[in-house]
Amino acid sequence: MDVEIRAKSFAGKPILGAIRLKLGPGERVAILGPSGIGKTTLLRIIAGLDPDYQGTVAGADRTSVVFQEPTLLPWRSALENITLTTGVAEERTRSLLADVGLAGKEALYPRQLSLGQQRRLALARAFAPEPGTLLMDEPFASLDAETAGRMLDLTATLLDRAGASLIFVTHDPTEATRLGARGLTLRSSPATLVG
Amino acid sequence: MSDAPANAGSALPATLSMAAFVVLWAALAAWVAEPITFPGPLRVWEVTVDEAAAGRLFHSMGVTLLRVVAAFVIAMGIGVAFGLVLGRSRVTDRWLNPWLVILVNLPALVVTVLCYIWIGLNEVAAVAAVVINKVPLVTVMVREGARALRPDLDDMARAFRMRPVDRLRHVVLPQMAPYVAGAARAGLSLIWKIVLVVEFLGRSSGVGFQIHLNFQMFRVGHILAYAFAFIVVMLAIEYLILRPWERHANRWRQDGR
Repeated sequence: MDVEIRAKSFAGKPILGAIRLKLGPGERVAILGPSGIGKTTLLRIIAGLDPDYQGTVAGADRTSVVFQEPTLLPWRSALENITLTTGVAEERTRSLLADVGLAGKEALYPRQLSLGQQRRLALARAFAPEPGTLLMDEPFASLDAETAGRMLDLTATLLDRAGASLIFVTHDPTEATRLGARGLTLRSSPATLVG
Repeated sequence: MSDAPANAGSALPATLSMAAFVVLWAALAAWVAEPITFPGPLRVWEVTVDEAAAGRLFHSMGVTLLRVVAAFVIAMGIGVAFGLVLGRSRVTDRWLNPWLVILVNLPALVVTVLCYIWIGLNEVAAVAAVVINKVPLVTVMVREGARALRPDLDDMARAFRMRPVDRLRHVVLPQMAPYVAGAARAGLSLIWKIVLVVEFLGRSSGVGFQIHLNFQMFRVGHILAYAFAFIVVMLAIEYLILRPWERHANRWRQDGR
């Protein structure tokens, strides 16, 4: 993946400056920085959710996203939340749910799951389409330390197995270290990446 | 069902209230003592039975119901589509909102008369008049729902490259269900009343025509018999179709872990 951003503004106010980010197969990068610096904005551009910027993003056709919130369809079961959004077959979905510890919960609706289980469901959904690059936007921010630790370990295991690259937005450097990700920091205004 | 006890509790006041209404009506009718212009409930019931036995009641109700269903399906289809477009596109909304304001405030009677004059005294004009009256209301209600769609789910659907048809079916429409159900409920009660006006003014069949006929002959018992019979049909649609559908659409809101 090759990301080259020249500028990104909101209502005339520059948010991101010149940014260049290259990612090889299986490489893991953590984007660090304080709140409001533009980390999520950068990730949304890479995910193709924000086309209003100057620059190019190449090789992002096989990305998958884990959002800050689980962002599940409340009216569909756990199983359908994966099959309907990713188009992955039911058999593989059941196996993925088992991988994240949700075996037997396939028929439950999201509100019948705990927040930790919803996070794991979102993680399973992200791995379902066999992404080349996984994009994660502070997905453990609202979890207690123990649950966040378990989620980090689970994410690392699934990444190892899938061999996918990772762009991981966080404000916590220890999370980056735990996932074995190279830390890059967004700094100044407009923000640029510092290695 | 968790709400069964609440339903059982709410049935008694409703039944007693209806019984009180019938008793009050009967007492008032006895006091007025004008069975032609103010018949009591027993007289209306007798007329209902007579009209049913003669076959006129069911035929008229069937014809009216067909017009109601046709107008309802067309109006809901067009209204939901317009509502979605206007709710999702600010530019389109800015352009078409003035039209909507005019149509919402256009009297049903004017639309009906114009349709009969321009299209003719036929079924197309009758159904078109009802549809034109109903579409703006459905559009306004659905537009509110489309404006309240969750942007995070929109992002998720785009991030996972869901097909537009899947996005509509699994992401958009479930969020719209309460608004569509509200529009359907409001629409049904409005449509059948407009259908009666349309039949009253220009058709030779249906409950509205029967009311017109009996109005000319000053037979209030017959007018009430047809009106009450059709209210029963509308209540049956509400309780046997709309509410079960709503329960089905909202089953994900229940816990039941």
